[in-house]
Amino acid sequence: MAINPHFHQSNQQLNEELVIINAAKQNPEHFAALYDKYYKQIFNYVYQRLDSKDTAFDITGQVFLKALTNLQKYQFKGVPFSSWLYRIAHNEVMQLFRSQKDKRAINADIGDLRNICEENESPFFEEYIPHLKKLIQELKSEDLQLVELRFFEKRPFKEISEILEITEVNAKVRMYRIIEKLKIALSKINV
Amino acid sequence: MSPKFNINRPKVSDDEITQHQNFDQLVERFKQQSIKKARGDESWWKNKKIRYSAVIAGVTVVCTVTYLSLFTQQKQNSISHETLTTQNTTLKNNKPKTITPFIQAPSSTWKTPYSTYKINNAKGGTIKHPSASKIKIPQNSFVDKNGKEVIGDVIIEYKEFHDAGDIIVNGIPMAYDSAGLKYNLETAGMFDIRGSQNGNAVFIKPDKTLQVELASASAEQKYNQYYLDTAARNWTYLQKDHAVELGTGKGASLQSDAKTKQKVITEKKLQALKNDIEVLVPKKSDSVAFVYTRKLQKLTKPAEPVKPVKAKPGKASFKLDGSYDEFPELSSFNNVLFEVGAENKNYNKELHEITWSDVKVSQGPQKGKNYVLTLVYRNRIEKLIVYPVLNGEEFEKAEAIYEQKFANYEAQLEKRTQEEIRLMIELKTKQAAYLAEQKKKQEEYDREKAAMQAKYDVAGQNELQSNFNNLTLNVKATRLFNVSKFGIFNSDCPHPTPTTSSLKPTFVLNEKEKLLIPDFVYLIDHSNKSVYTFDRNSGFALSYDPKYEYSLCVFKQNKMYRCSKAEFKQVTESQSKKFILTPLSDKADNFADFKKAIEI
Repeated sequence: MAINPHFHQSNQQLNEELVIINAAKQNPEHFAALYDKYYKQIFNYVYQRLDSKDTAFDITGQVFLKALTNLQKYQFKGVPFSSWLYRIAHNEVMQLFRSQKDKRAINADIGDLRNICEENESPFFEEYIPHLKKLIQELKSEDLQLVELRFFEKRPFKEISEILEITEVNAKVRMYRIIEKLKIALSKINV
Repeated sequence: MSPKFNINRPKVSDDEITQHQNFDQLVERFKQQSIKKARGDESWWKNKKIRYSAVIAGVTVVCTVTYLSLFTQQKQNSISHETLTTQNTTLKNNKPKTITPFIQAPSSTWKTPYSTYKINNAKGGTIKHPSASKIKIPQNSFVDKNGKEVIGDVIIEYKEFHDAGDIIVNGIPMAYDSAGLKYNLETAGMFDIRGSQNGNAVFIKPDKTLQVELASASAEQKYNQYYLDTAARNWTYLQKDHAVELGTGKGASLQSDAKTKQKVITEKKLQALKNDIEVLVPKKSDSVAFVYTRKLQKLTKPAEPVKPVKAKPGKASFKLDGSYDEFPELSSFNNVLFEVGAENKNYNKELHEITWSDVKVSQGPQKGKNYVLTLVYRNRIEKLIVYPVLNGEEFEKAEAIYEQKFANYEAQLEKRTQEEIRLMIELKTKQAAYLAEQKKKQEEYDREKAAMQAKYDVAGQNELQSNFNNLTLNVKATRLFNVSKFGIFNSDCPHPTPTTSSLKPTFVLNEKEKLLIPDFVYLIDHSNKSVYTFDRNSGFALSYDPKYEYSLCVFKQNKMYRCSKAEFKQVTESQSKKFILTPLSDKADNFADFKKAIEI
């Protein structure tokens, strides 16, 4: 699993970030460093769940506006600032899907689908792709979020738990259940 | 409705993402939103209930924030100097892209290590640093991050900086901003002190003060005391400093005496330890096997009785008068005859005809079985091997006695064999115990030796540390600091930053004038014993006063380059901006070489 350097930061990096956050709380101009640092990450997170690029840019802007607006409420909890931004992004995206379900999209690479098969100890053939797509599309919204974070974005469970505001153990248990479900479904595929 | 599923959708390029980044627009939106919100707020403010609630909530918040800020004040200060970056500087910049650590060592090679001391919080104590500085710590001086008194030992880490070399390698900023006026500090001695327990920072109790008597190479009274505020990125003036003069070389000699004394004590201790260890290992003469052999030798060996032999008819024999006291095996025989053995080639019957003047019987080749009979007449001496034999009744009597004696002999032999077995068991048991004990003692010896080695290593490390710290320090005075929080304290004299001349330098290496863009540039003012630090952000714009003596110390990717006093003068006098740098020799592997290279 790839390591997100923005999530895995040293104490020194966290301290430096905290100084910027405190400065930004006093003057929004100082939020620039955080905006520059995390814009791409947040955009990619949002766009991963959408089909429209423009909507993704709009949502990303909205995420940072909300972050700046609520910055006074931000409390440092020993994790990078990005986890707070991801949570805002997650809520923004979910809010959009509640009002406009058609905006929801799933984006994956062939390699991601292969990873899902491997995780299920199942061989991967191109003929599987339509079946896999269908299986994933039919997942419950919260299960789909986990699959996206784990297999399509390759995030560690700790980070997933931070974004979804659940415990790491809960994330693992839920992921295990999803894999079991997929395994059963995959075994029934006849190609 | 199922969501749309895209496979291998092209990624959005970084350029495209960057194009959409518009921070100014974000801030504008934020401001408009704030204004809108404020207008909206006016209407609800008219509501009395909400207004009173808000006032109460506001007062509560103010009280809480004030309480928390007071309570956590010390905690805020605890963040390591190296990691803490400042808020104020950040505030001055419109867009702080990167924040560099305030204390930044240019190279990991030369950075001064901390000396580590252990102090029991309940007892307190005085730490004597190798430089002759002392740290006096009152009882119960330390609390943890929650304000609770620390129980047990506290680790105090301490290091000193005395000259430009120390300042450069440790990345100590010497610029001082006093109400907008720029100064650079000349140090008479500086120290960095911090405390921890089990890796967690501890703090000095608000009502306690540590006293540091800093050994200083200067006895001048022109210095002030400052504390390095890493949050504000500036030195904070504490008070006027006062040097207590020691007299020339007194401190150094005190230090030397203390070191010699310590060395003698250590050597004595080690010798005693060595003697103890030698005693632990048993000597060979005390070995169990040796003791066993001695015991075995002491056991009575029973003498086997001689079996009587009946005289053979027709065989020549001699009957001798006298006693055979010297042959106890013959004592039980009466009228014993000595039969001439067949091996005597010199025997003839004639020998019986001679009246021998002297006859002697001595032990024969087969001890207890045969004897040598020596017959002497004047000059003639005949020697015969003879065997003791008995006739008729005497033989029967002797045989009966022999049977009895043999039975007794066998009983004694059995007893001895049992005793030998017992001794052998005892030997084996003792040998096993001995080996076990020896193993135990060897382990003990090894442990002691390892501990001794460790002591030596620590002593060596301390000596190295001491030498490192005192490389150029000639203690002339002590300066008293009252330390109420951990951090860097300095005895300094500020010098206004020179504005007489300035230049934007270019640095080249002497080999084919290869351009070098340094990471750090240090301008050493030898006349005022101060160091000016420049980094890339400052563009290395050097300000100097031509009447003073300067040299340059430059770092690029951990490697040090220099420009000597003479070279600096030559460049500045020729109105050139090009400094030809000389790299520090690869052979320069210690701090003394480094200091020599920068001419201090």
